Amino acid sequence: MSEVERKLSSKFYSEMDKLAPRYPTRQALLLPALHQAQEETRWLSSETMAEIGAYLGMHPAKVREVASFYTMYNLEPVGKYHLKVCTNAACLLRGADDLVEHCKKKLGIQCGETTPDQRFTLMEEECLGACGTAPAMMLNDDYVENLTVQKMDEILVKH
Amino acid sequence: MAKCTIDGKTVEFQPGTNLIEVARSAGIEIPYYCYHPALTVVAQCRMCAIEIEGMPKLQTACSTAATEGMVVKTTSDRTKQNQKSVQEFLLINHPLDCSICDQAGECDLQDFSFKYGSDKIRYEEERRTFVDDDMGSVIKKNMNRCIHCTRCIRFGAEVAKIPEIVAVQRGNHTEIVTVDNQPLQTEYAGNYADICPVGSLTLKDFRFKKRVWFLKKTETVCEGCSRGCNMELSHEKNELYRCKPVFNADINKWWMCDEGRFNFHYVNDEKRVISPRIRVGSEYRQAEWAEATDRAASVLKNTKMVVLVGSDLTQEEASFAQKYAKSLSAPIFHFGTPGVRNASEDSDIDSLLKRKSKTANLHGMEKLGIAPFESLPVGITCAIVLRGGRAKLPVLSNITQVGIGVFFADESKSYDVILSGPSFAEKDGTVVNSQGTEQKFKAAIRPLGSSKPLGEILELLGQTAKEAAR
Amino acid sequence: MAETLFIQHFKDDSRPLDYYLGQMQGYTALKKALGMAPDDVIAEVKKSNLRGRGGAGFPTGVKWGFIPKQSPKPKYLVCNADESEPGTFKDRDLMRYTPHLLIEGMAIAAHAIGAHVGYLYIRGEYTREAKLLQAAIDEAYAKNYLGKGILGSSFDFDLTVHRGAGAYICGEETGLLNSLEGKRGEPRVKPPFPAISGAFGGPTIVNNVETLCAVPFILNRGGEWFAKLGKFEKSGGTRLFCVSGHVKKPGLYELPAGGATIRELIYDHCGGTLGDRKLLAVIPGGSSAPVLTADEIDVALDIEPMMKAKTMLGSAGIMVIAEGFSMPKLIRRITKFYAHESCGQCTPCREGCRWMEEVLGRIEDGKGKPKDLDLLLDVADGINGKTLCALGDAAAGPVTSFVTKFRGEFEKLMR
Repeated sequence: MSEVERKLSSKFYSEMDKLAPRYPTRQALLLPALHQAQEETRWLSSETMAEIGAYLGMHPAKVREVASFYTMYNLEPVGKYHLKVCTNAACLLRGADDLVEHCKKKLGIQCGETTPDQRFTLMEEECLGACGTAPAMMLNDDYVENLTVQKMDEILVKH
Repeated sequence: MAKCTIDGKTVEFQPGTNLIEVARSAGIEIPYYCYHPALTVVAQCRMCAIEIEGMPKLQTACSTAATEGMVVKTTSDRTKQNQKSVQEFLLINHPLDCSICDQAGECDLQDFSFKYGSDKIRYEEERRTFVDDDMGSVIKKNMNRCIHCTRCIRFGAEVAKIPEIVAVQRGNHTEIVTVDNQPLQTEYAGNYADICPVGSLTLKDFRFKKRVWFLKKTETVCEGCSRGCNMELSHEKNELYRCKPVFNADINKWWMCDEGRFNFHYVNDEKRVISPRIRVGSEYRQAEWAEATDRAASVLKNTKMVVLVGSDLTQEEASFAQKYAKSLSAPIFHFGTPGVRNASEDSDIDSLLKRKSKTANLHGMEKLGIAPFESLPVGITCAIVLRGGRAKLPVLSNITQVGIGVFFADESKSYDVILSGPSFAEKDGTVVNSQGTEQKFKAAIRPLGSSKPLGEILELLGQTAKEAAR
Repeated sequence: MAETLFIQHFKDDSRPLDYYLGQMQGYTALKKALGMAPDDVIAEVKKSNLRGRGGAGFPTGVKWGFIPKQSPKPKYLVCNADESEPGTFKDRDLMRYTPHLLIEGMAIAAHAIGAHVGYLYIRGEYTREAKLLQAAIDEAYAKNYLGKGILGSSFDFDLTVHRGAGAYICGEETGLLNSLEGKRGEPRVKPPFPAISGAFGGPTIVNNVETLCAVPFILNRGGEWFAKLGKFEKSGGTRLFCVSGHVKKPGLYELPAGGATIRELIYDHCGGTLGDRKLLAVIPGGSSAPVLTADEIDVALDIEPMMKAKTMLGSAGIMVIAEGFSMPKLIRRITKFYAHESCGQCTPCREGCRWMEEVLGRIEDGKGKPKDLDLLLDVADGINGKTLCALGDAAAGPVTSFVTKFRGEFEKLMR
């Protein structure tokens, strides 16, 4: 595994080296490493995961196994703006399904798809923990709450 | 010993033993899929859930150690209801393609369905399907049949020590894969097919070859190396189809390597010489036994002989050869694996089973006092080479050679005569493994062609020589 | 309204350390705890009747007492900040407005159980909150509230923020521990329980954010005082109730444990239902809690009264549904969630949740058959109580209660 070429930045490696002493095992760095790598590369390719595996002394299959368990790791390319609209109970009660339909129509894509210009990826999301300010969504790393169709339109136009 | 009660029966147990094993020791079957005595207990399939007095919920027998005075019910209504429901859950997405599944007849899902399941299907939705990716040359994956027991994952990580089979995605979408469909690297891949309780991982080698209920099985010992893994040969109409390991706590546990598993193929190989063969000029032809032994006797006449025995022969065969050599005052040596001349040079190749000596009876040869072959003693003009099928033939130049045992057409060139003998699958006999344990080869099939036992051939040869001398 | 512990501080100005020190007696409880024997800290927490705020409601002091005094392996304190139960959104505010309260609570808990390493496992989506926490932790290290020889004592405690990555099941404590170890967040077989063998094989306590945030108050003002805040014998303190759905004023409400009925919460605190529509149903403890009809809401918001009403307070996520909303549609979505979040390890949950989702989908789409309702109850029964972790029950309970209590709504779709 040692012959894997290093493509992740030196920042990635220095961040991970800094974090390493905080855990008793190397493998515990896997989730932080996947997050950090995704921040650099936007999505996690086979090569990136193999590189992380090599760094942590893990078989690439184990890296894949873990990465694919968590929905936040993008194992395929995503658009510049990643819209994750919560449609779970509390948001549904507040009209989230209409918002999703609106987005689909506006962007011309289905959930799980990316616009041809690679700008928007639309996804239905599970509960974001923002039920008191429903409906809510994530726009990349940020929460957008108390959503309305108008607010959604403003966001889509702005970006 | 501690005691508990299972289905009204008092059962003794060693503290720490799980309820599946405790029940098994009393002849009570608790069905399970994910449990395997060699692997970490994960309690995932939920099939082994049983009732324990004083506990409100059903408990999984695999993950519950028996305790003194415990009262267990494996056939209560609640237990049965759970078994029925787990069976139903496992079948809703199963393709029910038993008619073309190689596992049929040896499938836990099939058997438990009959025993514990329902006769009705209530599932009306579309079944979940996967595209089957390749996993290399040994294993055929059929994900649609998978019941997610994860035995394969644990076998790779815990036994084969290569975590190359993993589960990706999660929940209902969980799929068993190798990363990017890479071929399996382990040299123990065949075990994946053994531990898979359904037809999800089957042997490519055995695919669509035979319905298993037509096969007869013979328990014997692997001849692939000096480990001596216990195994079973499946055969029909004097043809070998499959080989599987048989549990032996002291030698191979539940496992065997692929080399050993697929070794049997040479037995039915068409290039194998299964009747006597003699050289006529630069050509070879088949001969009757009488003609071949005559020819051998004449080749051997007035030569200075050496007897070379493969360490793939049984103790009994090697003893015959020893006697034969003694009667001719010829030196005798054994050969088998280049670089592994004696037991002290034999060692483990990996942490599981594979040994350096690629023959089964190196250690037996030493027991018989036969020395390893290094080079031809001065003045030798002829060699009798006896071989079981695995031993690597020594390269001997400028002497005449007679081969006795298992040889292949492309090996015949250096031999004036080949007297065909039985492979390990066609004979009974004793071999001594690297631990010094004596084990028995058992004949699974009759000798192929007109092959004769080695002892008989040597006797025949002796007689012919005597007659010629008269 | 009675004094609140938390909610009065839920504003952006509360975040800095200065505010915490000045307005919230910041880190005085830690100082006090470090002068006490760990057992005395545990005794004080036991006295407080603080019960886990993550959902299970187990007495916190008792849980801490399970940690063996001597252990060859390091002990760990883990904060479960994987808030993901639909309808629950209290921990997010605790973390973003009062991060130091959580840090102090963790340091005290670590001292009580003898752990020198702590992890704050926060759900991945709370990216901003993780950053705020990290900043607060950095401040705490700088002031020696964390690190070596805390506040002149001999106690060392290191705290690390560990982000999840999108998996509800990591809220289950052993799923969380696997995730922390860099594995799939699959719940583990129990026993062994985490207090004996948890993170990295060491004795581990996993506590919810709100639980840990209560600890400094208990140390400062006494377990007895905290216990008396609760209206029922077994539950101390106040609780954060998360109200969502069809109410006029959704959001967080802090009330004494058991200090109001569901009806009072909806009508006295949240201003009644949206548009004053007739109340149809209430899911009282996060989406895994069995649903209550409009007639069943005169029940106090505490653990035992809810159990008596055959539902649960869980994580106190109260979702209010007014007439006009389709109950089959709602349960379909809830079931889709559990199917999506099932880790897939065990048979009944992996297969059953999806099956229920499909049948519910068919029913909502008008393709249901009368026998489907009994089938749903049967499938739910095949899951309930028979899975490796509580997710199975969480998925089955709602289906059973929806189909039983609102059967007519489902049958209407079959005509």
